[in-house]
Amino acid sequence: MSDDQFRSDYAHHLIEQVTSGKMTRRQLLVRASVFGFSATVAGQILAACGGSSSSSSSPSAAASGSALPAVVTGGTMKAVIPPPLKTLDPVTIYDQGGIVLVYQIAEYLIDLTNENALKPKLAVSWAPNPKGDVWTFKLRQGVTFNDGSPFEAADVVASIERVINPKSGSGALAALAGILSPGGTKAVDTSTVQFNLDKPFADFPYLVSASSYNTAILPRNYAGDFQKKAIGTGPWMLKSFVTNQSAKLVKNPTYWGKDAQGRQLPYLDELDFALVTDTSAANLQLQSGTVDVQPQTVFQGGQSLLSDSSLRVDVYPSTGIREVAFNVNKTPWQSKELRQAVAYCLDRKAINQALYGGRSNLGYDTFWEPTVFPGSPTPPVRAVDIAKAKSLLATAGHPNGIDVTLTVANYLENPAYAQLIQAQCKPAGINVKINEISYNAIYAGSNSTTPWLNAPMVIVEWGSRPTPGVYAQAMLLPTSAWSSSHWNNSAFVTAFNQYESTTDEATRATLATKLSSIQQDETPILVAFYISQLRTQKKNVYNIQGPGSFYFDTSQAYITA
Amino acid sequence: MARLIGRRLLLMVPTLILVSILVFALAEVLPGNLGRFILGPYATQSAVDQLNHNLGMDKPIYTRYVEWAGHFVTGHWGTSYQYTTSVFPLVMRALGNSLLLAGFALVIIVPTSILVGVYAGLRRDSILDRAITISSLSMTVIPEFVSGVILIVVFAVTLHWLPVQAMPPQGSPFIDRFYYLILPAIPLMLLELGYIARMARVGTVQVLNMPYVRTAVLKGLPRRRVIFGHVLRNALVPTVTVIGSQIGWLIGGLVVVETLFNYPGIGNYMVNAALNHDLPLLEACVLVVAVLYMLSNLIADIVVAFLNPRIRMGG
Repeated sequence: MSDDQFRSDYAHHLIEQVTSGKMTRRQLLVRASVFGFSATVAGQILAACGGSSSSSSSPSAAASGSALPAVVTGGTMKAVIPPPLKTLDPVTIYDQGGIVLVYQIAEYLIDLTNENALKPKLAVSWAPNPKGDVWTFKLRQGVTFNDGSPFEAADVVASIERVINPKSGSGALAALAGILSPGGTKAVDTSTVQFNLDKPFADFPYLVSASSYNTAILPRNYAGDFQKKAIGTGPWMLKSFVTNQSAKLVKNPTYWGKDAQGRQLPYLDELDFALVTDTSAANLQLQSGTVDVQPQTVFQGGQSLLSDSSLRVDVYPSTGIREVAFNVNKTPWQSKELRQAVAYCLDRKAINQALYGGRSNLGYDTFWEPTVFPGSPTPPVRAVDIAKAKSLLATAGHPNGIDVTLTVANYLENPAYAQLIQAQCKPAGINVKINEISYNAIYAGSNSTTPWLNAPMVIVEWGSRPTPGVYAQAMLLPTSAWSSSHWNNSAFVTAFNQYESTTDEATRATLATKLSSIQQDETPILVAFYISQLRTQKKNVYNIQGPGSFYFDTSQAYITA
Repeated sequence: MARLIGRRLLLMVPTLILVSILVFALAEVLPGNLGRFILGPYATQSAVDQLNHNLGMDKPIYTRYVEWAGHFVTGHWGTSYQYTTSVFPLVMRALGNSLLLAGFALVIIVPTSILVGVYAGLRRDSILDRAITISSLSMTVIPEFVSGVILIVVFAVTLHWLPVQAMPPQGSPFIDRFYYLILPAIPLMLLELGYIARMARVGTVQVLNMPYVRTAVLKGLPRRRVIFGHVLRNALVPTVTVIGSQIGWLIGGLVVVETLFNYPGIGNYMVNAALNHDLPLLEACVLVVAVLYMLSNLIADIVVAFLNPRIRMGG
């Protein structure tokens, strides 16, 4: 079967899934995006199901409850972000400041919509072979880097091969391990790239999208000096960068992007970033009117912004979590019942209220969570049940209670979360001792010694991941690079491999239910909530796109008088 | 006097060597891993190990120290691990910023606090004296992050009189920097004013009780001449010593104020370097601050020696 034939069949398959009620329209749009259907084609598929494709919305408009005002071109938008923790280099960035800045200048094959679906960027379409282990990407033509050199397939090959080179030190290497090996990326012609995977992987497009932030497309001769010579195909060019102080960007006059009316993007002339470490200081910059927007507002300490009438706060249902991992190789966490007992102690609503003002989505210890990953099976609710926790504790051989240690970094809201867990576990007889250490200390050491991968019980912060599969691939398999639980469940592994190697949505749904059930029952980790991110801006700032703080798409943003 | 200065300058050398060894040793026990910090939590262990090897972090600490010291004394301050840029210009830029803030603050603090302290001392036990003593003591105990936040909320957020950050936008004229430094300087003034003013007050009160002041008054010297010619010269000896000891802190210890006002001073760099095992940057920052600390104390001692001839002769 040819790839085109496969795509046609898959489109019919999606229509059947929706018309038979097995798939929601939102899920159709997400799945269609994974298989490279353009928004137009996805709309046609949806129309065939008897619906409209207009699910995408502007967070600004949605938040303000009104249509966007007329576009105003020109001007400078000022934003406040944390300073990059180290030298700017797309290949090795991992922190918010670095990712946000790179995202303005360089682009990815695929970007994310406000709903976490995929949208074409430097790739205009993509499709797998029927087996799902060869993906072919068609590239946008007529695009140039901001130094005038043309963007071609060779640049994509070089960019992807660069991040999976073990010498690069890129975080993308661990994410793509076992899926794409060096030499697997080929230029078919100047505008076509083929990825030959090590195994079928249905969510592969996400791994080369903006959600895998190290896969930014850079010129084939990129020398690793991004901070000095920031090169990319994006809407902005770096004019100046002062370490720990500021970054000034100006519009790329040769940017390929146009809006729906054919107007040149970006609308703004300049973008100024204040690089501020302290969150209180950053909040005050916004409140004093010094800056126009804060891509990520931390709820803890940022409450005053929420009630500031001069500001608008957009809420993004991100998929970021605070994983509470039980190391199943260490006593006492070999016991499933003990892990479940902790899960039944948690009052998730109260935690959500205390940590995020009730804005986040509750989680029930599985990644297949329909509130954040549309189309996922709905897991059984895990309400607080102290009697059941006590019973499970007794079954686990601890009828008189147990003392455990929870390791947590003194970072973000993690210590507060640890204290809530401590308080909520106490009535069941689980005495949680908190081992609070610095952010550096929790990630220090080698894989065999670092606390975040070796402590018996630990809280780990995770930024958004685009699909449940990407999360599971990262931390729930025996081959996962970042498994703090060290959980190894053969039934889960088998089902997961089947899940990622099939494109049949009905089979994927069945397998998702099975995977979710196993994960929740076994409880190798607690996922009590999916953090909703807050973006705060002045009320005259409009049309910033992208889901959450990392994907700060300012190409269509504008400021009215 | 020349011998005093020469001896003090010579003493700086072993002190700096000791400081540099201590910093190296202390950085060794700090938690964290340089390679992991640079590449992030999601990089593979082999990549982290390779980077640590490339940076020489797997060598024994004494080998690394000797290598670093050898380069440092020959003017090669190395490259910052986290910013991959030369340490020297980074530190000099941060030092320039810190000196500007410290200098600006001192210009306000020193005359104001001496004036207030001496005035209170001359009117000992009056209502004004008590008011100055109590208020200056109260200001001293307010941490700068508290007073800083209050000042920002009042003058930047509510009244919009002053900017919230301490650095003007790029391209602004140099003179603008002083306008932007007003708000960060006030918390420092509140802290230091109480401290220095009380020293000036105590010194004034003590000197006023001295027989030579009584003699000066009894032989009919005008009050102004008694105060400026006899009282102040002696009363300010402990005050000058205190000011000297505070200069080092004002240059290298303003981490809280620098963080709150997003000011790229040397204190901020020092803390970041310590947290991230950036030893070339950390060593350079600490040694520069140590030199300034010692120099400011030396200058204070010289001033004291000029104020008090007995110390000068003893030197």
